[in-house]
Amino acid sequence: MKEVTVLKPKNSFLQGQLVSLYLALKDQGESKKLNFNLSKIDWAYPFLILPLSAYINSTKSSYTAAGSVKSYLDAVKFPEGIDSVLSFQKEIQLKKNYIPISILRKEKNPDRERLESLFANLILKVVGSVPGTRSAILYPISELVTNIFEHSLQDKGYLFGQFYPSKDYLDICIVDCGRGLAETYKEEGGLMLTDSEAILRSMKGNSTKASKERGYGVRTSRNVVCNAMNGEFIFLSGSAALVSSGKSEKLFTLPDFYWQGVIIAYRIPKPTGPVDIYKNGYLE
Amino acid sequence: MLEKYMENIKKATINLYKEIAPIIGSRDLVYSLEKIISTAKTNLVDLDFKKVEFVSRSAAHALLVMKEDFLRKARNKKEISFINTNDDIEKMLRIVAANRALPKKEDVRIKPEMVDINSLIACKNC
Repeated sequence: MKEVTVLKPKNSFLQGQLVSLYLALKDQGESKKLNFNLSKIDWAYPFLILPLSAYINSTKSSYTAAGSVKSYLDAVKFPEGIDSVLSFQKEIQLKKNYIPISILRKEKNPDRERLESLFANLILKVVGSVPGTRSAILYPISELVTNIFEHSLQDKGYLFGQFYPSKDYLDICIVDCGRGLAETYKEEGGLMLTDSEAILRSMKGNSTKASKERGYGVRTSRNVVCNAMNGEFIFLSGSAALVSSGKSEKLFTLPDFYWQGVIIAYRIPKPTGPVDIYKNGYLE
Repeated sequence: MLEKYMENIKKATINLYKEIAPIIGSRDLVYSLEKIISTAKTNLVDLDFKKVEFVSRSAAHALLVMKEDFLRKARNKKEISFINTNDDIEKMLRIVAANRALPKKEDVRIKPEMVDINSLIACKNC
């Protein structure tokens, strides 16, 4: 089995992690069985390890790690994750400071929703209780997770988050290994788009569904993260990734890289003052 | 006659916290609610949001569409009310309802800077 060394991100920003993820999966083709060597990384950021978790699970790949990163990965149940409320509650009892990787399964519908609620409430507990934070945290999680099941045609999605108390920010990552955005537009609307065009079309609010009232989820989630919470947001599908922060938007092309599905990662600084996502047109 | 009238004004209450979860995110769970509502033996149905903390925009949209659809039905018509909604849920329902009344007309313009990832890899100060 081919070994891939995952490099330490060149900085702690999401863009730095994007580079590490890109280099790890570049030139690997689709569904190749790999062994990921994680011994070079010193932080296991959600944007880096959740896609690897999904990749390992879907291809039966493996990984090696050492030291504190290995202990952390064990604690968050990397790579297999947890897919039931009962197991999630048990893990929380055992390892009070860690939020495990959640695997949300379509067929376990009410259980999936309860697992998502447990995850979100745990995140809220660590982030604090500044007024308005609850809705600002819950809005993107609920919108982006529901998007997975509406568009990916996959029966599972991955959800993971970590709050960094010493850095005062929260990282969340949501992943699916479904058909991807460009394929969704092709199958649902007969549109032939590149990955970059599909990402932009989705951000403009052109739903893959026929209804004009739909298609707000990703863009308004980005509004909440970047404008209401001053965070960063990455939306990756296939061979392209849109990176947003404040008013800056960069669309990266990822040559020789292909993610079968969608990865969304975002970072929210710990709120210090009240937040109101229902104002200023964030939700449009 | 009076008994039949009384039967018609009886209300069914569906506890969403128990039926779904404290955070209602997905549209398809709302679709599964339709089945429960359809089997209610009354015309009036209260969806009780007590202990529900948050409703996503997608779920709010699905709830409002479902409410309108049931009211339009010629047979098995139901009048659905949302009760015990918290401030967040109320605001979300209002935003989505306003958007249903006046849907967006134009696409949003997004013009990102186009970047090759290799330029980020090569950048020493990034």
